[in-house]
Amino acid sequence: MQAFAPGIYPRSEELVQATRDLDRARTSQEAVDAQVERDLAELVSVQQAAGLDLLADGMLRWQDVFRPLVEAADGLEKGALTRFLDTNTFYRAPSAATATPALSQPLNGGYIAPLPGPRLVTLPSPFALAHGTGTEPGTLAEGVLKPQIDALDAELVVLEEPFLARAEDGGVEKLADALEKLSGGPKLALWVTFGSAEQLFEQGLANLPVDAIGVDFFATKANAVPEGFDKALLAGVLDARSSVLEEPGEIAAFVGQLSARGVEEIALVPNGDLQYVSEAVAREKLARLGQAKTEALA
Amino acid sequence: MSSNGEIKFLTHEVGSLAKPPWLVKTSAGKPLKESDIEHAKSWGERLEVDGHEQLVELLRQDERDPDEIARWSSRYCMRLQESAGVDWIWDGEQQRSEMYAWAIAHSNGFEPRGTIRSFDNKYYSKSAAVGPVSLGEPYHNAEFSFLKSAAEHELKIPITGAYTLAVWSYDEHHLPKAGRLGGGLSRKDEVDARRELTLDIARNIIRPNLEALIALGATWIQIDEPGASTEEDELDIFVESFNVSVEGLEGCTFSTHLCFSDYNLFFPAIEGMAGCRQYCVGFANYDSTELGTSGADRPGYEVISKWRDLTYEPILGLGVTDIHTDFIESPELVRDRILYAVDVFGDPARIHVCPDCGLRTRSWDVAYEKLRNMVEGTRLAEESLNRAHAGASST
Repeated sequence: MQAFAPGIYPRSEELVQATRDLDRARTSQEAVDAQVERDLAELVSVQQAAGLDLLADGMLRWQDVFRPLVEAADGLEKGALTRFLDTNTFYRAPSAATATPALSQPLNGGYIAPLPGPRLVTLPSPFALAHGTGTEPGTLAEGVLKPQIDALDAELVVLEEPFLARAEDGGVEKLADALEKLSGGPKLALWVTFGSAEQLFEQGLANLPVDAIGVDFFATKANAVPEGFDKALLAGVLDARSSVLEEPGEIAAFVGQLSARGVEEIALVPNGDLQYVSEAVAREKLARLGQAKTEALA
Repeated sequence: MSSNGEIKFLTHEVGSLAKPPWLVKTSAGKPLKESDIEHAKSWGERLEVDGHEQLVELLRQDERDPDEIARWSSRYCMRLQESAGVDWIWDGEQQRSEMYAWAIAHSNGFEPRGTIRSFDNKYYSKSAAVGPVSLGEPYHNAEFSFLKSAAEHELKIPITGAYTLAVWSYDEHHLPKAGRLGGGLSRKDEVDARRELTLDIARNIIRPNLEALIALGATWIQIDEPGASTEEDELDIFVESFNVSVEGLEGCTFSTHLCFSDYNLFFPAIEGMAGCRQYCVGFANYDSTELGTSGADRPGYEVISKWRDLTYEPILGLGVTDIHTDFIESPELVRDRILYAVDVFGDPARIHVCPDCGLRTRSWDVAYEKLRNMVEGTRLAEESLNRAHAGASST
């Protein structure tokens, strides 16, 4: 049993203010950088106190889950401001300017911050990155994501996938081809966020060439996980779109349901980026995630 | 259409403008720098704000009343729009904390839950409904009374709509706190809870505000619903909440503002929203910046035919100015966007001209230039259409 927190973590009220001030030329980039470092130190401390097994850097400088890669890739451009699913948060939808976009240089320490321990890195899944660009997931996997993954030093790369659960049939198949191109490096997890994985399992989600599958268990029943599931299961048991704080005992009991289905390797995670709650709420949720792990192990 | 039969488009703003540094710092209790006072002085001169010297004197004092400074900021923002030539104006919401936060702070049944990112370095405060919701007291009355006394142009009042207030809030009151893991909460349960919260807000918060504003003399109220398309399967709730908010209220025109959405989603739901006489909608964000008046030239406006075809024939407030970039649309680009829309609608009387959304994320310099060009582009479109009309009449 493990627990960790992939995805974009909310900025503290202090960092919110600093970045607002920066946009209005009321503070300096240096002051913002210093606040990012303080936020990162606090996030590391919160994860360590909660007993999380892999550290995450919270992607505090990422504008959205695509932008840094889009800006670092030749042939990808940032497009219109677009609502992210059913949230009130928006992202610049990637668009392709060439048939074969390619990463010009892997993202550096600014976007993938050094951490004092075993870590994970979150990147968009190739299907999500390709969403709406007219480019095949496999093309972006090969040209953009693979060189980035090869440059990482991480125990686990979590590929965030918010669109697959809402896609037309055939998405899982396209993703399978793309994920094949990413193998050979660190362990990979496909994290299906904010949506039911029930139909995806019927389409072969469990057979995708990754080491772990992430499932939003606020939208998915435990019995949707197929019998004989033989990968690690990233169980989305914190609702990142709700301010309600989860009860560790309820999570631990739910883990019991998953174990009863024969799932052997479980990691407790949120069901999506925690940036959809405030930093204060996210901090408390992470503490409870750690407590849930402890209770589940007891 | 003007009284002499010539085509004349109405221009209007949409809602917010940036707050000046002298207001932001005064509200935060921070000292001002000389550059802040210079900002007030130079803009006061540039916009010819009556008595702006008085503001400059106030700003030099250590103790400043934030409400008084906010009223000055309202005067500046109204003058900014009037000076740009905009017909129907508001004060850029200078006296409100923010469109969501202001409404929630003056309502009962909510508790704050912190700050959430909207995009990039833009954020909003988010609260949770924690009990039955109701209105403390009408929260736009003082603002409207003041602006009515100070405006030189007509006023259109923006008020945040019920669905947006609901969908931008967490709901800890109607939704269960436990038993949700493992798909324990169905989508129907979520939709039912949202309907209950939204209609409670419409009945208990929005409608009493509208009644109070009408009693004070409001003639055009824009119900802002930027969150309207958040959930595809909840558009009927948005429509129902609009109708519940305005049904039976007389003496005032009601419109709505929609932005940054896949607008196709609104159809057919808004066919049932006949009480909405104008839809003010952002399109420029999705459009090309090249000139041209054909459909191929204007991809961001492809969807407008759906508003044309609504049987109750609302006016379309055509967003022609992208509020998320500092790119200043040329008058010619604005003109072409309007000409395309007129071509699609076939009736210029059903087109108003406006920015995509509130301009609060732009500096006053950028907002002013965008608005001036919007007005100038509108004049170019009018000239083009009136010239064509005159040419057709003489043949």
